[in-house]
Amino acid sequence: MRRAAGLALVLALAGCGGSGTKSSGGTILIAVNAPFSREPALGNTIARGAELAVSQVNPTGELVVGRTRYGLKVKRYDNALSPQRAVENVRRAIADGAVAIVDEGTGIDASWQIARDANVPICITYQGGEGLVDPAKRPNVFRIAPTDHGVAFRLAEYLIPKGLKIALLHDDSDYGEEGAVALTQAFGRNPGSVAARLTLPSTADDLSPQVLRARRAHATALLVWGRGPTIAKVLLAARAAGWNVPVYTPPSGEDPIVRQQLADHPSWVDGLTFASGRMTAELGPSAFLNFQSLYRSVYGASRIDVETAAGRPVLQPPDYAMYSYDFVHLLEAALRAAGSTGRKQVLAQLNEVVVQGANGDERGFNLKSHEGVVDDDVYFARFRDMTFRPVKDDPLSSTLPVIDQTG
Amino acid sequence: MSAAPRALSRTRAEVAAGARELARAWRPSATIVAACIAAAALVPPALGSLVRLDALAATLYLGVAALGLGLTVGRAGIPSLAQGAFMAIGAFVAAAIRDGDHASVLVAAIAGAAAAGAAGAVSGAGIVRLRPVFVAVGTWILSWLVAFALLSFPSLSGGVEGRPVPQGELAGIALTPRAHYELALALVVLVAGAVALLGRGAFGIRLAAARDHTGAALALGIRVVRLRVAAFAVSAAVAGLAGALAVQLARVADPTAYGAFLSFQLLVAVLLGGAAATLGPLAGVLALSGISLAARVVLLGASGERWNPMLAALLLVVVLSAGGAGIVPWARALDRRLRPGAPRSRAPRTPRATPRPKPIDGVKLEADALTKRYGALAALDDVSFALAAGSVNALVGPNGSGKTTALRLLAGTQRPDAGTVLLDGRDVTSLPTSARVELGVVRTLQAAGSFRELTALEHVLAGSALRRGYAGPLRTVARTPLARTEEKEATERALDVLAFLGLEAAANVRAGELSGFEQRLLMLAAALGTEPRVLLLDEPAAGAAATDLPRLARIVESIHERGITILLVEHDLRLVRSVAARVLVLDAGRLIADGSPSEVSREPAVRAAYLGRRSLA
Repeated sequence: MRRAAGLALVLALAGCGGSGTKSSGGTILIAVNAPFSREPALGNTIARGAELAVSQVNPTGELVVGRTRYGLKVKRYDNALSPQRAVENVRRAIADGAVAIVDEGTGIDASWQIARDANVPICITYQGGEGLVDPAKRPNVFRIAPTDHGVAFRLAEYLIPKGLKIALLHDDSDYGEEGAVALTQAFGRNPGSVAARLTLPSTADDLSPQVLRARRAHATALLVWGRGPTIAKVLLAARAAGWNVPVYTPPSGEDPIVRQQLADHPSWVDGLTFASGRMTAELGPSAFLNFQSLYRSVYGASRIDVETAAGRPVLQPPDYAMYSYDFVHLLEAALRAAGSTGRKQVLAQLNEVVVQGANGDERGFNLKSHEGVVDDDVYFARFRDMTFRPVKDDPLSSTLPVIDQTG
Repeated sequence: MSAAPRALSRTRAEVAAGARELARAWRPSATIVAACIAAAALVPPALGSLVRLDALAATLYLGVAALGLGLTVGRAGIPSLAQGAFMAIGAFVAAAIRDGDHASVLVAAIAGAAAAGAAGAVSGAGIVRLRPVFVAVGTWILSWLVAFALLSFPSLSGGVEGRPVPQGELAGIALTPRAHYELALALVVLVAGAVALLGRGAFGIRLAAARDHTGAALALGIRVVRLRVAAFAVSAAVAGLAGALAVQLARVADPTAYGAFLSFQLLVAVLLGGAAATLGPLAGVLALSGISLAARVVLLGASGERWNPMLAALLLVVVLSAGGAGIVPWARALDRRLRPGAPRSRAPRTPRATPRPKPIDGVKLEADALTKRYGALAALDDVSFALAAGSVNALVGPNGSGKTTALRLLAGTQRPDAGTVLLDGRDVTSLPTSARVELGVVRTLQAAGSFRELTALEHVLAGSALRRGYAGPLRTVARTPLARTEEKEATERALDVLAFLGLEAAANVRAGELSGFEQRLLMLAAALGTEPRVLLLDEPAAGAAATDLPRLARIVESIHERGITILLVEHDLRLVRSVAARVLVLDAGRLIADGSPSEVSREPAVRAAYLGRRSLA
């Protein structure tokens, strides 16, 4: 009895001090501002990456900020690819108490100031426009995604030596317009390799006229910078006309919608080459495969509703999910380091902390660079039988392993 | 007393007069509206943290645009589907001007409103001449054109990414969402007040007259097209102002936010709330937003906004199938049903003691060899006559003899193929109707009809507006002392006219609630409101009961006694005999007799023209 009383006293004392004194501070909100209604595959991928990271933090109950224990929560805001809606969402997220915003990138030019006034960091995890991120002018805007600049220069570096006459096509979406700027810079020193520059109306059902103009300009390759549906329409127009021209794209080429829209003509996708941030680290693919396994254990494999010639279902690797996943872990580290949920302190700490990313690489920002993916990490992959694998004619890509994409 | 104190004293007196006028015009409904405004003003301090002020402010800016549209749809009867396009013009002009923070918010807002107003004037000049169904189609196409233009010229619109707009200041106050809410609320009050004043003033009355009966309005000298274009432009300018301020709130001019659906949504809001009521459009916007929000929260989830077009279309069908009146008129009708003894805002007036008819100098009107042909048919063939100043004359003849054509040529509705019309010796043949009405030649129409939604008093005011010098839209809204004084005098004169015709008790009664004969008298009252010197009456007894004829005869006599020259076209020969000193008889476009009623009735040609079965005796 006396021993039991003594044990109770010890436990009670223990409860009054040390780690046991942590009180519950409620929930820290992370907003995800993405096109859930207009591009659900992209929106869900971004949100799931963030939610996956949160699901890793919450069960441990160990997000201790200062002396208070917090839970993390992700809330989705649909921007419907409209900058006005994106700005409204940022206002709503701030009013809802969000400590940070994971953003697809639409409307950033207008929304970053509103977030800055509230000391809320925004992390772009899809769009790579050059002007979007500028640590000096936009201290609260970060990015973990390949930059347009990096993708465009890597594409130029890859394509110009091949001696191709390239038609540079871009759609009139914000993504396409930003890409056009980057391509102009990247191909500026080699104007002879550019056969034509054309703008594609993203609302048009048929892009045959534009593709025909590129063909008449004697293009021997198409570089299409646009959203997934635009790329699909270009492929349809070119292949339907019997033009087997090689087609190159930025990361949007791996958007499942391209393959879904060409599901009736799988051979038309063959040869499509896209540039993107590499999924696997220098140390090997194990970290990414672990992340992919974790992702699939929670959300299931991301079937994209197309099959290989052998009838096996094609799965989409969660490469863009790892960017939002990494940012949430960076935010977690910043919260811990700040010792406060104050937005200003958290924002300052985001320039200091570093974490190991989903693919094993280090992720972090500093006062001079808010880019989480370096330009040298851009690789090239080519489709064959509805799945893609790194190309062999590029030094970096040739070293990368193939990630299995079949179920 | 020096100039400054005198001006101050006069200003004080005018402010006091304005306050007295406001107190006189105050109604219980005004108390409710004032309470709603006060409650809305208290939202930021009381509920600021619980509500999204940016969303509320955006809704109020939409409400401003809808209030402007109410003027076009409700008063002018123009079913415009372009209000969203004018908002877009205002928004993108303001965004372009604010680019780089080089210009103030005020300058951008004024420029946005001016650009939209100019676009409204230009497009309105072509559109308002069309029939309502084609107006709807034309404005719908305009909405699409603007939407396509925004997407097709990314250098102007910023493309899909839009044009970012820096946060601005107004009078040194940072335009935060809260400041925008307060600004939008103030703007709602101002625009609603302006629309109400415009609607009640000569501008609105004439617009409504043109809406209810275009032909009759034209006959009164109302420049219908010019008036409608002005209303369309004012409405567009209000939309432009709303767009220019809304874009400052949104912080980005987003082309995708100004699609054709916005215009559709605004028209639905106006019809839902009630186009005829000043606050109806605002009520419609609030109702539409509330329903959309409820549907999103309760039924459809976050993606519910995709269903907004369907929801709006459904509401439009519901409103139209329920009669199309809208929320505010329905609420008024419900109030009347629930409180049958409550005083009406349009109570009948007590009759005036003595009408004060104003003597008028009638003038001589001459037709000289007037000829009008429709193809091979000569509707009027070389007809000449002169009407002495202050005389009462009748123009009779069988159907198709050319009587109405003669009146049209005299009034300026049609031009003769040959011949001239002389007024007091002056050739007015080439002058349009409006100019002839200004000179004092006014015609009433043959077909029965009135401005159904206007009161008896407003009928006369529609006519008398022609003679007013301070009844323009700006002075009406500003309620300048001169405009107020003139309005008071015009109202007194209009009541005199109604009393003269025995209609003063019906001064505040809508024409649609009066008998057919009284409605004909109203059109006569409107014509008298223009202070005519020559009155061309086209079958005033048509459809009148036999018991009404003596009253009509007395009225014509009384008009004659005032000195007005009268030409009466009439089939009822009893009326002709009782009032006309001289009768002109037309047959197959030719003048076949001219003389006193008894002289004319003896003419064989006249008997033959009347098929030999009827005599004038």
